[in-house]
Amino acid sequence: MDLLLQVLIGAVRGGTSILYAALGETISERAGVINLGTEGCMLVGALAGYAATATSGDPWVGVLGGAAAGGALALIHAVLVLQRGANQLATGLVVLFLGLGLTSLFGAAFVGESINAFTPIAIPGLSSIPWLGDILFNHDPLTYLSFAVGPAMWWLLYRSRWGLLVRAAGEREEVLAAYGHSPLRVRYLAVVAGGALAGIGGAQLSTAYANAWFENMTAGRGFIAVALVIFAAWHPLRAMGGAYLFGAALALSPALQARGVAINQFALDAIPYVVTIGVLVVLGRKRMHAAPEGLRKVFEMSPSS
Amino acid sequence: MERAARGAGRLALAYAAALVFFGAFVITKGVNPIDVYADMWRSLTDGTSLGEVLVKAAPLMLAALAVAVPARAGLLNVGGEGQVVMGAIGAAGVMLALDGTLPGSATLVVMMLAAAAAGAVWAGIAGVLRLTVKVNEAITTLLLNYVAIDLMLYLIYQPWKDPNGSGQPATRQLAAAARLPLVGTSRVHTGIYVALIATAVIWALFRYTSWGFRLRVVGGNPEAARRAGLPVSRLLLSAMLVGGALAGLGGMVHFAGAELKLRPGMTLNFGYIAFLASWLARHKPVNVAGAAVLLAAIAIAGDSLQLDSGLPAAAVNVLMGLVLLAVMGRGSVRTRRQEVEPAPTPTVPAETVSAPA
Repeated sequence: MDLLLQVLIGAVRGGTSILYAALGETISERAGVINLGTEGCMLVGALAGYAATATSGDPWVGVLGGAAAGGALALIHAVLVLQRGANQLATGLVVLFLGLGLTSLFGAAFVGESINAFTPIAIPGLSSIPWLGDILFNHDPLTYLSFAVGPAMWWLLYRSRWGLLVRAAGEREEVLAAYGHSPLRVRYLAVVAGGALAGIGGAQLSTAYANAWFENMTAGRGFIAVALVIFAAWHPLRAMGGAYLFGAALALSPALQARGVAINQFALDAIPYVVTIGVLVVLGRKRMHAAPEGLRKVFEMSPSS
Repeated sequence: MERAARGAGRLALAYAAALVFFGAFVITKGVNPIDVYADMWRSLTDGTSLGEVLVKAAPLMLAALAVAVPARAGLLNVGGEGQVVMGAIGAAGVMLALDGTLPGSATLVVMMLAAAAAGAVWAGIAGVLRLTVKVNEAITTLLLNYVAIDLMLYLIYQPWKDPNGSGQPATRQLAAAARLPLVGTSRVHTGIYVALIATAVIWALFRYTSWGFRLRVVGGNPEAARRAGLPVSRLLLSAMLVGGALAGLGGMVHFAGAELKLRPGMTLNFGYIAFLASWLARHKPVNVAGAAVLLAAIAIAGDSLQLDSGLPAAAVNVLMGLVLLAVMGRGSVRTRRQEVEPAPTPTVPAETVSAPA
């Protein structure tokens, strides 16, 4: 029982940064733009968040810094894709390498520096509920914020005018244009917002989870987020569940090993990806229907020469 | 003629812009960019570094061709990373299974076959899923990258771990006789020949065979190809299998020529860099190989960045990113036209639309 509790706590703790990035990628892909550079956006967010916290002494400034950096990197992706007609998957990878390089160039100065990081705040009353209190109500403020961001994203996408514009940009841009809106502007907003959320995810990692900056600290979480969006069929609430599932998979093997159970962590790590492929196979057509129309055009590549 | 000249001018401008921007970043770190470029140039033109470039270029060229072949048929292979890893796993598996029972050269041949087969299987999974359940190959190849990396880590942390090693998660080293021979007295291994031969073969296949022609027809218009009686499914699958085999071979070349054992992080984003090399060169085999050498040279220049200028080696990724950004963003007549004329959207109700097989 103790093991299950530990894994569930770990799922929320480790899943939060992935959750922010996956929600960001959901908006972006809903508008028809996939960003394989989410990993890069998280990474610059992690460094900018850490650097801003170190210089200002306030982790909330770090969150803003992380969002700004992630958004700025996503803007490069948006310009190339939307203005220059470049291939989305390729420019996404370019953004990834830019993120890797920039954080390596400017991050060396912050390795080993200590910061005034976010600290877990136990919610009075709620945190003393057995189990639930430990799993949900004894976290850093950014984790609490993420509980609200998922449902808020759902509301935005499905219940607000803004969300209708985003979804229309991804599905039928000509309809959007017919009603006098600019699909281009909506897409720009969605991609930059997606990058900003990934940046916040990165900042959560460096200022609330690890409380440190080191090179390549996101270690593939951005790619997990991209996979997760597909797994969740472009739905923000399912993305939330998926993020915690990945978090749990990451937390399970150390927890087992600590109890002397011989288990190879990497066999467990592969499970979420295999499950995602399995889901795609079983629900293949249905899932791909959920894909925004504009995104499907990306995957159906035009002839090369 | 004039158009070609203008294109070359734009390309030169794009490279220059990338260098200027990277210089600006370097200045913010208090380092003189002129010195940085001079050091990079000096380091790349001396013999040893040139060798390093070729060592790195060999698997990159093969992995980049693994993108170019499916691309000709209109398929997106984002799974080079996983296929390279599978190739390395296949080669290492042969090393452990044969355990020196065969002479070195025979072991090398078996390793190549196993690596190509492992890479082809990995890409083939994505191809089959695309053709049977219509799951997009870009998504599956991307996801399979992680499965392959986790599989490699699983193997080297437990069953394949060297019992006589220093406790590091790695297989034992490849016996000297089964390594790819070196070119003359240099550190360059013959993997570069494998890559060059593969480039020439793919170029010739594209240019002179009906397979190459048919792939292009399928890539251009699958519906027209089907009506013309071409076996579209078989052609698509063959493109994925050949691509995967090439990437697998890249993994073997890297394993048997440079790394000599499986260890974590041995592929270092090869698959993704190769994907970009293929896009940079618009999937034309000879240009793709050239782009792979260019990206390998930039990566090796990172060592000079660290040794001569005191900047982190990974900072060279900024230069690589900027070069790619400038070249891809410089636009072309073709991309302009695509902007003005978006592909017509099908008028069929959404429920009946699915990815074309």
